[in-house]
Amino acid sequence: MVILGIVIFLVVGMGGALLFTEGERREGKNLPIDNVDFKRLDDGTYIGEYEGGKYKWRANKAKVTIKSNKITDIEIIEDKVSNTTEIKNKLFQRVIEKQSLQVDTISGATITSKAYLKSIENALKKTKEK
Amino acid sequence: MLKNVEAQSCYYGMDTVITSKAYGRYAKRALKAAAKEALRLEKLLSRFIPESDISRINRSAGLNWEQISDDTLEVLSQAGKLSNYSKGLLDITIAPLVDLWRAGKDTLEIPDDLRIKQLLPLVDHKGLELNFHGKAAILHKTGQAIDLGGIGKGYAGDKLLKLYKKYDISSAFVNIGGNVLTLGRKPDGSKWQVGISHPREENHLIGTVEAADKAVVTSGDYQRYFKDSQGKRQHHILDPSTGYPAESGLVSVTIVSDSSTAADGLSTVLFVAGKEQGIELLKNVPNTEAIFIDTDLVVHITAGLTDCFHAVRDIKVKVLN
Repeated sequence: MVILGIVIFLVVGMGGALLFTEGERREGKNLPIDNVDFKRLDDGTYIGEYEGGKYKWRANKAKVTIKSNKITDIEIIEDKVSNTTEIKNKLFQRVIEKQSLQVDTISGATITSKAYLKSIENALKKTKEK
Repeated sequence: MLKNVEAQSCYYGMDTVITSKAYGRYAKRALKAAAKEALRLEKLLSRFIPESDISRINRSAGLNWEQISDDTLEVLSQAGKLSNYSKGLLDITIAPLVDLWRAGKDTLEIPDDLRIKQLLPLVDHKGLELNFHGKAAILHKTGQAIDLGGIGKGYAGDKLLKLYKKYDISSAFVNIGGNVLTLGRKPDGSKWQVGISHPREENHLIGTVEAADKAVVTSGDYQRYFKDSQGKRQHHILDPSTGYPAESGLVSVTIVSDSSTAADGLSTVLFVAGKEQGIELLKNVPNTEAIFIDTDLVVHITAGLTDCFHAVRDIKVKVLN
């Protein structure tokens, strides 16, 4: 089974880059975190918002769940524009055939997801406020 | 054992999501370096970053030369060559029209035809002059502007792969917003499996391509579009000669090639050209294969892909001679 794992890290300085690990809860497994420099994330559920910048229609909220120093779930909630499940699927390149065809990556699937990553980033920032 | 250490990354850059997986002793370091390199390139090539090379060239249109970096010079040069080869089917001076259509996306109204016709003369790649010795560029007409949407990510991909090789990586893939590059094979010796998005069914693939040391780049009318007040799809790949989204009978073009810069540029060119003209254009481009998906969702592949393209069931595939 291909386990979908994404590692996102926060790059200091020139904003916008994130690495995190997401475990597939369905499979009851969490991806091991490679020895990436990683500030400790406290367990809990955090909600981050993103205004949408130039076009307010990008406003959305992200709900991030942290367990045992890993991100176990991300949900895009309150999105004015699109079907949020579809967006999340696109963000993580979840396609129906991905596992059955053993696909490593997908050509053509794009998403102007800055708004979503921004709200996720804002959610992660809150984990340090504790 | 250390050779198979796996590292993955996923971050936002170049106005899209960049994901990558690499194997090797220095995989993690390579990915971090690549992330920095992607941001460095974005700062040079993005016309939305005020101090980028491209932004400065755009602001000085009709006025003066601007000094630029080696990378910017290289992208502009390659874009120019492709523009000449395709007789303008790719034209990076398309920015004024891109802006006009982006504004349309907000209001869901297509731009006024008169306005499009007013801006068309500004779309002229011959108006861009490069000075290779002095490392500078100038747009000759006031109001002209460059947008590297059709080739920039491709260029970045090639640079990132070069970086991986410096870190002794021989097995990896990079995916810059759908622009896929593969380096070598997977650790188990098999080729990378690259899914091709289904142009009309979200969260589905239309097929897969096996790749090793190849770039797989797709241009499609389903990536960034809006539906206007008539319900008609207005996509983002503009035909530089008409000023409107290209209507060539295709919904998606995938190029499989050694160079991701070439693949990115060509996927744009062939989408605008259509299948017949596209096949002609491919004849003089070595080591390059293509997948054309038409409006009936029939998949046409060049002969070289016969063994590496696999359609999902119920999809009709035709092999081009």
